[in-house]
Amino acid sequence: MTALLATEHLTMRFGGVLAVDDVSLAVADGELRCLIGPNGAGKSTLFKCLTGQIKPSAGRILWRGQDITGLDSFEIARLGVGIKTQVPSLFDGLTVLESVRLALRRQARERAARAQALATLERLGIVELAPRLVALLAHGQRQLVELAMVVAPEPDLIILDEPTAGMSAEETTRAARVIRALNAAHAIIVVEHDMQFIRAIAKTVTVLHQGRVLVEDDVASVLADRRVQDVYLGKADASPRMVA
Amino acid sequence: MSGIRLPIELAAASFVAFAAILVLPHVLELFALINATVYVSLAVLALSLALVWGFGGILCFGQAAFFGLGGYSYAVAAINFGDTTYAVPVAIGVPALVAAALGYVMFYGRISDVYMGAITLTLTLILFNFVNSTAGDQWRVGAAPLGGFNGIPSTPPLNLPGDPGNPLPPEWIFAIAVVSLLICYILAKLILRARFGRVIVAIRENERRAELLGYDVRAYKLGIFVIGGAMAGLSGLLFANCVFVSPTMFSLFYSGQIIIWVMVGGLGTLVGPVIGAILLNLLTTWAGTLPEINPSLILGAILVLAVLVMPRGMLPSLATMLGRFRVAGGVT
Ligand SMILES: Nc1ncnc2c1ncn2[C@@H]1O[C@H](COP(=O)(O)OP(=O)(O)O)[C@@H](O)[C@H]1O
Ligand SMILES: [Mg+2]
Repeated sequence: MTALLATEHLTMRFGGVLAVDDVSLAVADGELRCLIGPNGAGKSTLFKCLTGQIKPSAGRILWRGQDITGLDSFEIARLGVGIKTQVPSLFDGLTVLESVRLALRRQARERAARAQALATLERLGIVELAPRLVALLAHGQRQLVELAMVVAPEPDLIILDEPTAGMSAEETTRAARVIRALNAAHAIIVVEHDMQFIRAIAKTVTVLHQGRVLVEDDVASVLADRRVQDVYLGKADASPRMVA
Repeated sequence: MSGIRLPIELAAASFVAFAAILVLPHVLELFALINATVYVSLAVLALSLALVWGFGGILCFGQAAFFGLGGYSYAVAAINFGDTTYAVPVAIGVPALVAAALGYVMFYGRISDVYMGAITLTLTLILFNFVNSTAGDQWRVGAAPLGGFNGIPSTPPLNLPGDPGNPLPPEWIFAIAVVSLLICYILAKLILRARFGRVIVAIRENERRAELLGYDVRAYKLGIFVIGGAMAGLSGLLFANCVFVSPTMFSLFYSGQIIIWVMVGGLGTLVGPVIGAILLNLLTTWAGTLPEINPSLILGAILVLAVLVMPRGMLPSLATMLGRFRVAGGVT
């Protein structure tokens, strides 16, 4: 079976720094995959490659077996990929409803688009925010509005960068529940480094270290792995690999 | 936004426009009427930047380039054709094409905002210097001499389509300028209300988010830039009909003024910059009649004052003030 999204020997160099080094991974349709690693492991760089914000130095990215390496962000979004950035990226000057309506790019009929936007807000429990100006929302509400924009067009895959950054333990557990619920309808890749969150998600985990895949396994095995413990406790050398 | 607001706004604008056409030619002397036409043509220019900068988020220092290109294309085409009928589409088409080419390089080349300002300003300066240096007789396009720093004093006024023998009188030119302004305003309103305009505003709000939602930001920016170029070209045509075309159209004087009109009028509104252009031009003209006062000094003082008192511009500040009155009135 062809993977929904796969990378083959993906590599990203910044000068002499190998931020992502020969990473090959495959995410299946409907899967929920966690991508973890300590600071500097290359998670954000991999996220940027997958979402078309930077072009990889080498290797390929495949969407349902088709080469999409080097596509722009908007082209990747059009394939059916919803992208949520670490810091919420929103239209501050617009209302919540207008923002979600804009996410429904392919729905040209205004009435249907509004109804669909409202249905999405309803589903996330924030329909009462519809007429509010995005700039005036609280932090947690902003997160939900961005999520509404991401899920509204019903993407096949959602990629989230550190969704729990700045959250309390309780909020983190709740976010994990929301993400698991979303997984019923979408494949999801979550980039994280919070172990609590990984435990709550309890799915396949890919551990990055120094730009490389260190381990890829179910959550229990990964947490029990000595190498992973070393990396997270700082015993292993965390500095990025350099080009010889 | 409720469905009733747009028709009311458009009706009000149309009323003001037709009132101006019916009344002003009777109360103003010829010289004042021609001046009024100049102001209206410059209001179209302000409107073009209001769209590109205020809604498209593209700070273009080169709107004067499209203004000048519109004027010169009109003059050259009208002289060569011996009829202004087809000079009109030329005056709008040439700046639109130049905007398309320049916009393509800037937006598809992903040039940063700072360089965009520099590039548009450079284009204006290059055109200014070039047109200034076309004094010799060898500088002509067909039958039209470019005239260097003198410009083209024989710029023909508009005639009715297919009737080149009868150039239109100033009253007509004034009416055409006002109707042009009205059409541009209505067009801008409709564009902003349409899907295209809403995406344009979304891009201004957050370019990256728009891209992550699947919008090709480059194409949208190019679109609004070309519309702005065409509109500036039309304003150049109208301007050429009141005065005549000369290199000052490309000068820093205009490039800078347009930005001031939009800023003082209110960035992110359409009516604000239109009123800003007309009021500030009235003011400059009036200041010019005062003895021993430099009009530029007054304009500068106004700008500083405006920025201090109404940082968001005239129209938004007025709206806020009226809103407060309304709230206060509701309480008492
Ligand atoms: N734009 C860049 N230029 C140079 N080095 C970079 C750049 N982005 C990331 N890096 C380096 O690549 C490595 C991986 O960074 P990053 O992907 O941000 O890791 P993570 O998100 O896992 O913390 C780090 O050593 C970082 O310093
Ligand atoms: Mg990171």
